Amino acid sequence: MIPEFEYAAYVWSSYAIFAVVIAWQAIVPFLRRRRLIAELREERAFKTGTYGDQR
Amino acid sequence: MSAFHTLKVGFHRLGSPPNFYQLATRLAPWFWVGFLITASIGLYQALYVVPPDYQQSDSYRILFIHVPSAWQALAGYAIMAVLAAIALIWRIRTTEIMAMACAPVGAAFTFICLTTGAIWGKPMWGTWWVWDARLTSMLVLLFIYLGIMGLYAAFEDRRKGARVACILVLVGVVNIPIIQFSVEWWTTLHQGSTINFFGESTMDPAMLPPLIWMTIAVKLMFTAVMLQRASLDLIDQDRRKQWVVGAIGEQS
Repeated sequence: MIPEFEYAAYVWSSYAIFAVVIAWQAIVPFLRRRRLIAELREERAFKTGTYGDQR
Repeated sequence: MSAFHTLKVGFHRLGSPPNFYQLATRLAPWFWVGFLITASIGLYQALYVVPPDYQQSDSYRILFIHVPSAWQALAGYAIMAVLAAIALIWRIRTTEIMAMACAPVGAAFTFICLTTGAIWGKPMWGTWWVWDARLTSMLVLLFIYLGIMGLYAAFEDRRKGARVACILVLVGVVNIPIIQFSVEWWTTLHQGSTINFFGESTMDPAMLPPLIWMTIAVKLMFTAVMLQRASLDLIDQDRRKQWVVGAIGEQS
């Protein structure tokens, strides 16, 4: 299933770096979005006085 | 006249934060889907279909991530420069935010290009790094990207930070032709171009399909992340505005 390459360590480590960086780029906006929405909801709840009702 | 008017109105509507936010959040997942499909095809072809190179053997397979990343690092900078110019001339805030959102993604592709290039260089050149014109100018590009991100983040007033960073973006454009033509202007260890869009390519046609698929994939991924980052920056800046309350309320 996994192809056997000459210089395999070099090839696979390059593809691993590519995968990690792409995954990082996908995860960062997702985490930021979650944090931002939680902050905004908290702010809104604090303003409207429904703080205890959230979650 | 009416087509131009429609285009102008459409462009102005896109500049409106709620419209941009709505469009960006709707489009970004589709760009991710496109990325997953094209990258799957590209990676399958790169790792299973194309034969080894007669000189470099399997090590040349690094090319299928190294070259698209390098192209995207340069294309990303060009897109960022156009957006920065529009932002500085017409003072369109969404364009300013989009320009700033290009920097981290561009930096990521420059990082991939540099690290995979170093890993490829070790078995083929016998060294991880040389201070030749192509490698050095690419490293300078990474520093420019990081400088833009740092400058943007350093200002408490995000708009002022974006404007100053946009000026740095335009100054940094000088590095793009240096990177592109470095292999022609100077004697470098890095090889010259093997793929010419307007001339004869020296690359075997059998090796082109995975390269094309991966190039499309990274472009789709760049667009997806740029839209996501820009839309988040927009709601962060406009957090006190009514449209953000509405937009967040819709999603909860």
